[in-house]
Amino acid sequence: MAAAVIEFQHVTKVYKRLFSEEKLAALSDVSFESAPGQVCAFLGPNGAGKTTSISILMGFFFASSGEVRVFGYPPGDLRAKKQIGFLPENFAFHKFLTAPKLLRFHLQLAGRNPAAAGSLIPELLAKVKLNGYENLKIGKYSRGMVQRLGIAQALLCNPQLVVLDEPTSGLDPAGRREVLQLLGQMKAEGKTIFISSHILPEVEQIADHVIIINRGKMVRSGRLRDLLAAGRQVEILADRVPEDLPWLRTATVEPAPRGVRILVDVAGKREAVESLWAAGCDVIAMTPLRSTLEELFLKEVDQPGGAQ
Amino acid sequence: MKVRAIALNTFSGLVRNKIIILFCAGCICILLLMLTSLLAMRNLRAAQNAERMQMMVLPLIAGMMTFISGFGSLLAAWSAADAVASEMRAGTVLAVLARPVRRWEFLLGKFLGVQLLMFVFVLIMLGLNYLLAWIGGATISTNPWVLIVYPMVRYAVYSALGMLLVTVMHPIVAFCIVLVVMIGAGLVAPNNPQTFMPEWLRTGLFYVLPSSNLLSETRFLTITRATLRAATWTDHATALVYGLDYALVCFVLAAWIFRSRSLSRD
Repeated sequence: MAAAVIEFQHVTKVYKRLFSEEKLAALSDVSFESAPGQVCAFLGPNGAGKTTSISILMGFFFASSGEVRVFGYPPGDLRAKKQIGFLPENFAFHKFLTAPKLLRFHLQLAGRNPAAAGSLIPELLAKVKLNGYENLKIGKYSRGMVQRLGIAQALLCNPQLVVLDEPTSGLDPAGRREVLQLLGQMKAEGKTIFISSHILPEVEQIADHVIIINRGKMVRSGRLRDLLAAGRQVEILADRVPEDLPWLRTATVEPAPRGVRILVDVAGKREAVESLWAAGCDVIAMTPLRSTLEELFLKEVDQPGGAQ
Repeated sequence: MKVRAIALNTFSGLVRNKIIILFCAGCICILLLMLTSLLAMRNLRAAQNAERMQMMVLPLIAGMMTFISGFGSLLAAWSAADAVASEMRAGTVLAVLARPVRRWEFLLGKFLGVQLLMFVFVLIMLGLNYLLAWIGGATISTNPWVLIVYPMVRYAVYSALGMLLVTVMHPIVAFCIVLVVMIGAGLVAPNNPQTFMPEWLRTGLFYVLPSSNLLSETRFLTITRATLRAATWTDHATALVYGLDYALVCFVLAAWIFRSRSLSRD
């Protein structure tokens, strides 16, 4: 297996007030890894520690204990930063610049000569649909345009790892769809994407791996496919359903185009199907229900004491 | 290239900074008020005793030059403090430092951007000095390099001090402290006759605070027919090296503190 792009080993971050004993643990013993080429969704409710983790990953904050490695280097190491494209939450730019000037500035920061970049900047602006706004100052951009520009600067130097903190915040549904398409393109190009977002149905479409944290502690981590496959219900489609079956009291029954749709717990599926057959009903289909990422997320973060 | 890019970007930001524009507009208003009295005196000169009027005009010109010079020190301190603080406030520092840029390179770029602004200020100030002297009917005999290099070194000291303070505190607090330091440096200068301060405190502060007096170009400024006040090259070298050393120590301290500072959107 290829070496992990991001490694968090028992990372703890404690904020301390100056001249006070008051301490706040933002992260407690968080460990995870992200493999190359993987889209890793980093999820958690507000205040869970997502931005703190990303700040540690980028070298903006320092972990109180534990070890963090990015491409095998400590966070903030120039060799690692050369391979990272980063979009911070609520991205802000120098408002007096235009988009091409900003991208040229970032090229210079990356140690590249903007004059030798050729058509890179116009292509990137076209990719995020900002072509035609080259002469408009960034201060006059809408929130969605700024966010798209942020994505363009994150992709500027063809990074191997793209870290996106809430990339769809402030975007309208069309903008979110465009960002999602961009992420899909990046995934197809084999880039490693580490994404923090609250828009779970969208994350579900592209993520390979999911990490859920709550109150600074990791509550779930694994392949999205595995986590969602472990659904708790089965959908049974039958032509009709007798009303006197005892297990129906705990099941959900809804009319369906070709009969009735019955939702039962996985544990009771055998009893349900056998009793339907015994009653002379025709069982058309039985499908294990895959839970959604949103259901999984809510289940994990709503568990009383689950993250304590 | 990275440092140069940050410096030029900082300069572009500073010349558009509303507070700095307001700062300069205030300075120009005060200068215009002072200029009115200068012009009035110049008109009176022909009618009254020319020798006596010359004695009134020259201190006024020197006062205006000292005012511009002092204003420059405050501008340097504020610009440096705000250049760093505004990046933190807006969150743009996160995008910049996500690039392969070291934290000290970021600070150095900011510092050089401020020095670029101050260089433009010094050139304008130099032109204004000659203009004032001309309006007052006098000539400046001082060598122009003194009027450029000395203020630049002094502004480097105050901008490095502002930058050092802003790494640990709010820019307004940092600016106020620089203001107090400037006043304190003036009070403890050897040529200041104040007596309220015990000698040990005065000596101690003299060694700690940046010596604005030593780095002042006005001590070489002669606005009459007189020639450049005698100063050997070793005098100049000592004063300038002192200033550069002070600025370097402040900058290195700022870089050292900034190295371990948590960066977030303030």
